[in-house]
Amino acid sequence: MIRIRELNFTYNGADRPALRNINLTIEDGQFVLITGASGGGKSTLCRVFNGLVPHFYGGKIGGHAGVQGMDILETPPRELATKVGMVFQDPENQLVTTDVEREIAFGLENLGYPKNLIARRIEEALDTAGIARLRFARNNELSGGEKQKVAIASVLALHPEILVLDEPTSELDPQSAEEVLRLLERLNDELGLTVILIEQRLDRVIHLVDRMLVMGDGKIIADGTPGEVMGGDSQGLGIGLPPVIRLMRELKSHDASPDGLPLTVKDARLRLQKVLQSVKPADFAEGGANTAPVLNIDKVWFSYGERAALRNINLDIDRGGFIAVMGRNASGKTTLVKHLNGLLKPSKGKIKLDGVDTRKSTVAELSRRVGYVFQNPNDHLFADTVEDEIAFSLRNRGADEAQIAKAVEGMLDEFELTRYRKSYPRNLSGGERQRVALASVLVGQPEIIVLDEPTRGMDYVLKKKLINYLDDYRRRGNTVIMVSHDVETIAECAERVVLLSEGRVVVAGSKREVLSKALLFSPQINRLAQALSGYGVADTTLTVGEMLEQIG
Amino acid sequence: MRALSYRDKDTVIHALSPLAKLAWGGGLVILSLIFNHPVYILILFLSIIPMVKLAGVGREWASALKFSLWLGLSIIVINALFSYHGDHVLLAAPFRLPVIGQPVITLEAIAFGAVMALKLAVIISVFTLINLIVHPDDIMAVLLKMRLPYKSVLVTSLSTRFVPCLVEDMGRISDGYRTRGVQLDAGSWFRKIKNRGKMTTALLSNSLDRAVQIAEAMEARAFGSGQKRVFYKDINISKMDAVTLGVGLLPLAAGIAVRVLGYGDYQYYPNLTSIGFGGWGWVMPAIMIVLLVAILPLAFLRRRAELD
Repeated sequence: MIRIRELNFTYNGADRPALRNINLTIEDGQFVLITGASGGGKSTLCRVFNGLVPHFYGGKIGGHAGVQGMDILETPPRELATKVGMVFQDPENQLVTTDVEREIAFGLENLGYPKNLIARRIEEALDTAGIARLRFARNNELSGGEKQKVAIASVLALHPEILVLDEPTSELDPQSAEEVLRLLERLNDELGLTVILIEQRLDRVIHLVDRMLVMGDGKIIADGTPGEVMGGDSQGLGIGLPPVIRLMRELKSHDASPDGLPLTVKDARLRLQKVLQSVKPADFAEGGANTAPVLNIDKVWFSYGERAALRNINLDIDRGGFIAVMGRNASGKTTLVKHLNGLLKPSKGKIKLDGVDTRKSTVAELSRRVGYVFQNPNDHLFADTVEDEIAFSLRNRGADEAQIAKAVEGMLDEFELTRYRKSYPRNLSGGERQRVALASVLVGQPEIIVLDEPTRGMDYVLKKKLINYLDDYRRRGNTVIMVSHDVETIAECAERVVLLSEGRVVVAGSKREVLSKALLFSPQINRLAQALSGYGVADTTLTVGEMLEQIG
Repeated sequence: MRALSYRDKDTVIHALSPLAKLAWGGGLVILSLIFNHPVYILILFLSIIPMVKLAGVGREWASALKFSLWLGLSIIVINALFSYHGDHVLLAAPFRLPVIGQPVITLEAIAFGAVMALKLAVIISVFTLINLIVHPDDIMAVLLKMRLPYKSVLVTSLSTRFVPCLVEDMGRISDGYRTRGVQLDAGSWFRKIKNRGKMTTALLSNSLDRAVQIAEAMEARAFGSGQKRVFYKDINISKMDAVTLGVGLLPLAAGIAVRVLGYGDYQYYPNLTSIGFGGWGWVMPAIMIVLLVAILPLAFLRRRAELD
């Protein structure tokens, strides 16, 4: 059991507390979800459970925190390791050794367990995590999902009673994320392990959890079952409700609702089937097509050494379009978009920007027209202050200072960064750094913006702001190309979807053609619509709004 | 980068005790430094080839060799251009420089450069081979066996593990820079250095973040728990391994003896001397050849003993 009373914590050098007046009891065997806005204190609270806060990070702490009868504030993390296991966000940066077996043995070796016990625990952990076949594999050859399973196995080997996971799926593709979550479900169901999970994508996990905590500004602002938290006034919580729950809430407010909140598509389908009477025919007009292509990708091949990463890609990208590029990890998405601004040059074939072969231009020249925002905002940040960071590209082009100052002011204002203008960019929170990275690229007013997984790990409020901004940007005649795994966001904002697999375009078309009636890449509402098509609901419905038009 | 890292393979060389492989490789490096005679250096180089072949890492070794070839060529050229010793002048500049005098290219300087390049090829080959055939954690275990402090060995092992990550970080940061319109290799030297400096700051910052994350993950898995640490995959030395280790060390011991006896040296300046050995002098290199490859039949014997 975890028991926390009146806990306050401030990091060294911080001007405000990261945790404020936390009172929390978590009973054994619960599956607890912690969610909420970036910088709200989720990760800090999780690090209290195993003593990393305050022992590893230092800082000022007050109150009481205990786990399984041990006083956390008096017990260092290494002594809590057999009580509380922790899995971190980045699969790469938590593996210490070079192969799977040694990785699982690492914690047990540290505790000085006898070799025969270590051998037994390794067997158990490999089987429990379902990775026995990876036993002798090298860590650097594993996929992200496999690395996370190894991290979980290495923690399970210590026989913890509580497993804490800090956004373990945020860097994984949907399939890998699903596998990791299924493993957590099994650990909780079958072994009775207490699981505490930080996650932003509620649609992925909400049906698994018993309890949901929402954090904001260092406090617990909501606590209850998922139904209680999401059924109440969730407006100020800063969380993105899964589409089926939003639909049901809307139906309630339209006074056409079945009772209760469904946590899964199946649950929603059963409730709706009972009450569905009249369905208005839908007409989802596809607009804005047939403008001249701004980018033409013609028979493009690309290889990393002997491995072909792109195979005969043919695509036209229309000016003013919003295109989503999807596919499994290593399907060639990032390789493809890196060709659009010249970071990579095709091994064969051509890419033309307004009819001109991109091979004839340098990356610097292309960057004036094609902006590129990387997955990790840190890859963009070099300057000493936020305003210098934003001004960097313009200064590099030799723009005059008055023009630069005006453009920087505009960006600071647009991305709500004015208060951080003199801050060191790398000291900001993840969401803030992402905004600085975006501003630093968009200040150059490129007519095409390429974003590589911009919503990964982003909280709901930030994601919504980003999508609104990009939509507005596109309406001004610019083109947006976004690599993403986030089907729900793509269903809301994209016009066209390109699906890649093994370096080939599997399908490219309107989002309705690609996302509806698909098995894995369809949004929740479409899966619901497919099940309700017998009632007259269009099986190409993708969003809550479209569903409401028909049954609301 | 990753292509030159260890991969498990079912070969007699991979199955050899890491201690024996490290002793053999370390011996080769030391011998390449203490011998000057081109024939001895050539023997050292050639003795690597059967090991490479049996370990099935020919392609990886060839790519490392390509790198050492360029480096070797530059050593030959630089030595030829800047070392003016030697009596056999092949080319003389039509001008004189203050202090140095008339620049000349001599046969002796070229020969000396070529042997230095061959020494370098031996050293690079050994490091590549050891990297490919000894598990990094086994290297760590060997160092621990030598009673080096665990924390220092772990830090060294972690640093090498993250070198490929550092290379990837560098690539991404450089891409980030280029997409902001910076031409990294354009402009004055000052500008180039300034641009690279900013990239280095970003790289260091990423590395620090990574170090904190790794430290946190280690702490959460009871690192430094105060208990006496156990090594699950400790290196056990069987009788066969002890014999192999002894045989792995033999070339080094014999090589030192050969040098003490006055063999294995060679004079490049002012005139190249004969590379012949005269009388029974050929016995020494012949012994060295036998000892350098003696570990190979033992590798087969060890595998057979394992199977039995």
